[in-house]
Amino acid sequence: MSGMPAGVSRAQQRLREQAELHLRLAAMDDLRRDHPTVTSAPHRPSGGAFWRYVFVPVYRRLPWETKERAMHALKMTAEDHGWTPPSRTPGEPWRPPAPRD
Amino acid sequence: MSQRLIVIGGGGAGISAATTAKRVDPDLRVSLYTEFEDIAYSPCGIPFVHGKEIPRFDDLFLSTVERYVADGLEMNMETVITDVDLQRRTITARSQTVGFDRLIVCTGFRWRKPDVPGSNLDGLHYVKNIRAAMEFDKQLDDLKRIVVVGSHPVAVEMAGNLGHRGLEVHLVDEGPWVLGEVLDPDVAGPVHESLEKRGVTLHLGTRLEAFVGDGHVTAVATSDGEIPCDAVIVGLDKEPDADLAAAAGLQTGTTGGLVVDDHMRTGVDGVWAAGDVIEVPHGLTMIPIQGLTGSHAYSQGRVAGANAAGDDRTYDPVWVPWGMVAGDYTIGGFSFGETLATAMGVPYVVAKGVGVSRARYFPGAQRTHVKLLAEPGTLRLIGGQIHGGEGVKERCDFLAFAAKRGATLEDLAWMENIYSPPIGALFEPIAIAAQNGLADLRKKAAAEKPGAAPAKAADPA
Repeated sequence: MSGMPAGVSRAQQRLREQAELHLRLAAMDDLRRDHPTVTSAPHRPSGGAFWRYVFVPVYRRLPWETKERAMHALKMTAEDHGWTPPSRTPGEPWRPPAPRD
Repeated sequence: MSQRLIVIGGGGAGISAATTAKRVDPDLRVSLYTEFEDIAYSPCGIPFVHGKEIPRFDDLFLSTVERYVADGLEMNMETVITDVDLQRRTITARSQTVGFDRLIVCTGFRWRKPDVPGSNLDGLHYVKNIRAAMEFDKQLDDLKRIVVVGSHPVAVEMAGNLGHRGLEVHLVDEGPWVLGEVLDPDVAGPVHESLEKRGVTLHLGTRLEAFVGDGHVTAVATSDGEIPCDAVIVGLDKEPDADLAAAAGLQTGTTGGLVVDDHMRTGVDGVWAAGDVIEVPHGLTMIPIQGLTGSHAYSQGRVAGANAAGDDRTYDPVWVPWGMVAGDYTIGGFSFGETLATAMGVPYVVAKGVGVSRARYFPGAQRTHVKLLAEPGTLRLIGGQIHGGEGVKERCDFLAFAAKRGATLEDLAWMENIYSPPIGALFEPIAIAAQNGLADLRKKAAAEKPGAAPAKAADPA
């Protein structure tokens, strides 16, 4: 398992926190348009103009495959930490999991 | 001489790790340390005791310290570990140093404390410790008005239950609807209505500004004005309690949780971690997530405990089935809802349907709303939400497993189901949703390609 300097780890945490917050707020704004009577405008934190007006629109324009590649490149996914993506082949017959005991 | 395994933490992960390790290798000397007085209880049940749906806190206890001692564990209660030295392989507790051969870290979570004035006032409660909950419960009959800050599922359960107990409850949350991080807005209506029926006033899109009071909280200041109160429940976010392990040199990831591999191994030989203190990858995106359910913590603890005792078990990436009762309304889901998928930019198509939980003529039949999210093209299942009355939990569990195995809308549309009037309708709501989704896709294809056969949506039973 590869180690990560504490400063890089904190920067990744901060990047993820801010990205998630502003992407979630943008998604909520979009989805609540169809449900105006049961939802309110979400509170937006002060500041965050870069995230709202630059990051979110740019992120949204990228295809999912590009986003995935970027997240891998930034080591934001778990493959670097000893995890293997599960196989989900369409149409594959169900098989019982290998015994674990 | 037998090897010594130390388990730090007495929650679900810690207990399951310790007991599994002892079971796999009875010769292993297993010592569990917890800072708390109690062990083996269900903190998830606390809101329902406050709401008097469960009569006693004693009912939440699943086992006793004596029972674990009889099973061969060394139980160190009310013992705070102040240092872990991974080089010397020692822990320090009560100024004494104890050596270990293997270590499992299960230090759990802590609630995020609001960064506003007054957050140290008395009268602010966090739902976690059963003794604190027992003390709070003694006060409840003398209280009139409670403010719940945040809409974490536990906070929403507290709001609904305190309302059920007859208190005036105000729920303050920055989100546009309750449970906004997991729930989609098409489910918000019935959830809000149910909470309001229980006496909960919702203050949504509202920012917490301060807790007001002189020693004890008397009001909560918000962007929408001040709300007088006798006590506050704080239910913002759960954070991994990873400080001790991080100070010892274990790596934390993008969620702040400890990084482990699929054997629950940390990056240090002979050291494992499990439960709310770690992060594990989501099955579709492989992005690490944390703060899952008690059943996830138990499973992870079993894997960590077995491996620490010499076994070779793996833990799979997660598809996160979840469910809860908000007010009186049952909601659930797995993996992604539309809000999260939209936020992440994961492409999806939606399949929606409404069925009934029993034969429609059978007393007590309730409508079951199903929404499935599938990958465009392959139509493999990637997420969903279900709400209504009965069977939400079972359907969410099933769908999470089906998604993990790569099931498609086509598979679900023609799934077999039980038809038995008291427990299941002729048409399964999941199949109805999948059939509707396929019909919509065919309609769309027909519109784009003149001459294609028109499709018909399935009718609910």
